[in-house]
Amino acid sequence: MAPPAQSQRSQSPSQPSGKGEVSDLKVQLRQLAGSRAPGTDDSKRELFKKVISYMTVGIDVSSLFSEMVMCSATSDIVLKKMCYLYVGNYAKGNPDLALLTINFLQKDCRDEDPMIRGLALRSLCSLRVENLVEYLVGPLGSGLQDHNSYVRMVAAIGVLKLYHISSSSCIDADFPSALKALMLNDPDAQVVANCLSALQEIWSLEASTSEEASREREALLSKPVIYYFLNRIKDFSEWAQCLVLDLVGKYVPSDSSEIFDIMNLLEDRLQHANGAVVLATIKVFLHLTLSMTDVHQQVYERIKAPLLTLVSSGSQELSYAVLSHLHLLVMRAPILFSSDYKHFYCQYNEPSYVKKLKLEMLTAVANESNTYEIVTELCEYVANIDVSIARESIHAVGKIALQQYDVNAIVDRLLQFLEMEKDYVTAETLVLVKDLLRKYPQWSHDCIAVVGNISSKNVQEPKAKAALIWMLGEYSLDMSDAPYILESLVENWEDEHSAEVRLHLLTAVLKCFLRRPPETQKALGAALAAGLADSHQDVHDRALFYYRLLQYNVSVAERVVNPPKQAVSVFADTQSSEIKDRIFDEFNSLSVLYQKVLSL
Amino acid sequence: MGEADQETLYATICREVMLEKQLTGHKVDRSICAWFWEQSISQGEFVKLPPVIASPTHYLFQIVREGITFLACTQVEMPPLMGIEFLSRVADVLSDYLGGLNEDLIKDNFVIVYELLDEMIDNGFPLTTELNILREMIAPPNFVNKVLSVVTGNTSNVSNTLPGATASCVPWRTADLKHASNEVYVDLVEEIDAIISRDGALVKCDVYGEVQVNSSLSGLPDLTLSFANPSVLNDARFHPCVRFRPWESHQILSFVPPDGQFKLMTYRIKKLKNTPIYVKPQLSSDAGTCRITVLVGIRNDPGKTIDSLMVHFQLPPCVTSADLTSNHGTVNILANKTCSWSIGRIPKDKAPSMSGTLVLEAGLERLHTFPTFKVDFKIMGVALSGLQIDKLDIKNLPNRPYKGFRALTQAGEYEVRS
Repeated sequence: MAPPAQSQRSQSPSQPSGKGEVSDLKVQLRQLAGSRAPGTDDSKRELFKKVISYMTVGIDVSSLFSEMVMCSATSDIVLKKMCYLYVGNYAKGNPDLALLTINFLQKDCRDEDPMIRGLALRSLCSLRVENLVEYLVGPLGSGLQDHNSYVRMVAAIGVLKLYHISSSSCIDADFPSALKALMLNDPDAQVVANCLSALQEIWSLEASTSEEASREREALLSKPVIYYFLNRIKDFSEWAQCLVLDLVGKYVPSDSSEIFDIMNLLEDRLQHANGAVVLATIKVFLHLTLSMTDVHQQVYERIKAPLLTLVSSGSQELSYAVLSHLHLLVMRAPILFSSDYKHFYCQYNEPSYVKKLKLEMLTAVANESNTYEIVTELCEYVANIDVSIARESIHAVGKIALQQYDVNAIVDRLLQFLEMEKDYVTAETLVLVKDLLRKYPQWSHDCIAVVGNISSKNVQEPKAKAALIWMLGEYSLDMSDAPYILESLVENWEDEHSAEVRLHLLTAVLKCFLRRPPETQKALGAALAAGLADSHQDVHDRALFYYRLLQYNVSVAERVVNPPKQAVSVFADTQSSEIKDRIFDEFNSLSVLYQKVLSL
Repeated sequence: MGEADQETLYATICREVMLEKQLTGHKVDRSICAWFWEQSISQGEFVKLPPVIASPTHYLFQIVREGITFLACTQVEMPPLMGIEFLSRVADVLSDYLGGLNEDLIKDNFVIVYELLDEMIDNGFPLTTELNILREMIAPPNFVNKVLSVVTGNTSNVSNTLPGATASCVPWRTADLKHASNEVYVDLVEEIDAIISRDGALVKCDVYGEVQVNSSLSGLPDLTLSFANPSVLNDARFHPCVRFRPWESHQILSFVPPDGQFKLMTYRIKKLKNTPIYVKPQLSSDAGTCRITVLVGIRNDPGKTIDSLMVHFQLPPCVTSADLTSNHGTVNILANKTCSWSIGRIPKDKAPSMSGTLVLEAGLERLHTFPTFKVDFKIMGVALSGLQIDKLDIKNLPNRPYKGFRALTQAGEYEVRS
C-alpha cells in the first residue's frame, strides 16, 4: 500500500505541523505493528522519532497509545527507550491502556541484558499510575537484589518514585530498610549514593508522622554512618560527593580532634574540578569551625584561593554564583579580604548584576592602605556608560568616605564629579555631599564653594534637590546667594511635585530667615503662604507649625529649627547582622544568591 | 538533592522550546518558559538576566551556550552551583555527542538527547555524567556509526554489554581500550585578564590557565607530569583522576588519564608584571568633534608571533557619526555603534595605528564618556606565565607513544581605558 501523499511533505522529524500527520502516523504504526519484515525496525525508528518530536514540540499524540504499545515488541533497545518515554509521558492520562504495557515491562525486567532490565525498571517506576502500583513492588524487590549494579542503582531511585506514587505500598513492602542495608553494604558507590538520596527524602517526608522515620533520619547523622561516607568519598561521583558533603555539613562532631580529622580528610576536595564540590566542602569547613575563632580565620585564608579562581575562570554563570558566596564571606570578614581587592575590580563587559556585587565588596574591604586605589578605580566607573553602575559607584565612594578613610581626597573627587555636568552624576553626588557634611561638618567650606555654583535648574531629581535645599538652609550664612536661590525655588512652588522637596524647602527657608532675616523675609512669607495652601497634609501641617512658632516666640523657633548639631557618627541603614548570620548558615544554598533568608 | 525535589530540564532557543524533560512526578507546566521569556525581554538585552532567578512558582537555573538556553526548574532549595555545573555538563556532553550545539543538531537528534538525559539524571538527581561511560552506553550519531551499521546490519546504537568502566576501579576509563597509534598531547592554554589605565599603567592583571590533555593510549597507562617551575602557580584544581599525594609533596601530577580530550588541571598564576602588547588610545575634543588615535605595538616581546590581534570599542551614545581609518588591517563600524579594528599580525616595518574623527551630537563641545577598548590576541607557542612542562613519563605501555606539547596564550578580558 502506498503511504498517504500528505506524509511526504514533512520529511524531517523537526518540522511537524498538525493533526493530519498524527492520523497518518497511526495508520503507519499499525501497519508496522505485527510486521516481521527486515527493515521494520528502521521504519519503526523513523516513525517513533516523529512521534517523539511531535510530543516534544507540544502536539498531542496520545491517540497513538495503543499503536505505540503494539510496536514496542522489539529487541532494539533504542526503540524500547522511545516507546517507554512516550508511555511514561501519557500513561497518567490513559491508565487502562497503560496496563497493556505492564506485560512488556515486566518481561523486560527479567531480560538477560542488564541495560534492558534497568531501562524497564526505570520506565515501570515512571508510569505514576496509582492502580498499577501492585505491579511495581515485585520487580523493584528483585531489582534491589540484582547482581548487576546498574539495575540496583535504578531500583534504588525507583523505590523513591514508588514512594511518591503510593507511600503506603512503599513502606509496607519494607523498602526503606532494604535501601538502608544496601546503602551501608553495597560495593558500588553510585548505588550507595542513590540509596542515600532516596532515604533522605523518604525519611524526611515520613518524619512528621512516623517516629521510626525521624529516628532513622537522626541515625544518618551518627558518627559511624558519617565516617563510613567520609572514608568512601573519593569513590563517589562528583554529584554524589555534593550530596555526601551536604550530609556531613549537618553533622556535629564531638570534639576538636574529630573536627581536624574530618577537615584533613576533605582537604583535597577543595581542589576538585567541579565547583559545586569545592563550595560544598567550604560550607563544611566553615560550619565545623564556627566556634573555633582562630581556626575559622585560617579556614578563610585557605578557601580564598579556590574561590577567587572559581570566580574568574569559570563560565559567566558559575562566576556569578561563586561571587555571591564570596560576597557573603567578604561582608562577614572584610579585613581578611582587604589585600585581594583587585579581584573585585569590574571588567567592562560584565553584566550589571555582577558589577553591583563587586561594588559592594570593594566598599567593604576598603581600609587605610588600599582606599586610594579603590577610590581611583571607582571613579573610573562613574564615567561608565551604564547609568545605574555610575550611580552605585558614587554611592560606594561616599560610603568609603563615611568610613573615615582618606576623606580629604575623596571630597576632592566628589567635587570633581560635580564638574562632569552629567545630571545623574550631579544628583547622586549632591546627596552624598549632604551626608558627608552631616558627618564631617569641617569640610563644609570646600563643599559649599562648589555646590554654590550649581544652578538649581540643573538638579531635577527629588532627593538631589532636597539635598541641595538642605545645604542652602544649613549653610545659608556661607552661601551668599542662598536667600535668593531659595526665593526662586519658592516661586516655583506649584511646579514642584515632590512633597519631600517642599517640606525641605519650608525648613530651609525658615533656617535661612533665622540667620539672614531681611533678605529672606519675602521668601518666608511666600513659602508659608504656599505651604498653608498646599494639598499635602504633611506640608500643610509643617507650614502651620512654623507659622504658629514664629507667632509665639521666634527664639523657640530658632531652637527647633537650628539646634546645635552633633556630627552624625553612624548611619542606620546597613543590613542587620542577624540576617547576615542566618544567610551565612545557609551558605551554598539559593538564599545566598537572593540575599534573603530561606523561609521555613 | 534533599527534600522533595521536582525538576524539569528545558533546552530552548529564540523563544521556542526545543526539548523538555520532566524528571519527577510533579509536572512543571511549559508556561514557565513563557514567564522566563517575558522576564528576559523586559530586562532589555537578553544576556544580562542572572543565572538563577525566582519565578512565582519555581527557581530557574539558566545557562546560555551558543545561543541555546538550558533551563532547569526546581521548587526546592539546593546548592546553586550544583544546578549550574550540571547544566554546563549537560551542554558539554551534548556538544561532544552532536559535534556542536545548534538548533538543527538538537532537533535532528532528539532521541540521542533524550537517551543521554535519561542516563545523566534520574528523578532530579545527577547520575552518570562522565563522557567515557556515556559513550559506551549510547553511541554518538556520527558517520562511522552509520557506516558500521550498514556493514554489520546492527542498527542498534547501544552496546549489549554494560560499559566496562562501571566495573573497573578507575571510573573514568574503560579497562580494555585499544588504539592503533599511541599518542598523547598536552596543551597549556592560558588567558590573560587585564585592565590598563589611560596612562598605560597596569591596574590589574591575572593569568588563568588550563592543562588540556588529549590521550589516545591503550590499556591502563599511568602518567606522571611534572613542571619545571611549579612555584609560579598560585592555585590549582584537578580532574578527579589526579592523585593528591604526589602533588602535595612534590608538585607532580600522577594520573591514569580518561580517554580522549579532557581538562587535567586549571590554575591561576601569582603575578604577571608585563603585558606583551601596548594599546595607546588618544582622544582630544574640540568644538563638537573629537579626534581619536589608537596606537598598537609590542611592549615585551614574548618571542613568538602575536596573532589575531583585534581592538573593539563601543562608540559612546553621544557620538553621532565616526570616520575611522587605519594604516594596517581593516576597521568596521556596525549598526550598533561597535567598532572593530582587526589587525592580524603586527608588521615589522610600521606600527599599526587607527585614527579618525568622531562627530558629537549637537550642543556638545567635548566628549565626556570615554570608550573602553577591548583587545583580543593569540600567541601560539608560548605560555606567558612562564610555566614550563618538565617531563611526561608514561608507564604500563608496551610501545613508546608519541608525545606532543603545545602552548597558547590568548587574551581573556583585556581592556584598555581611555
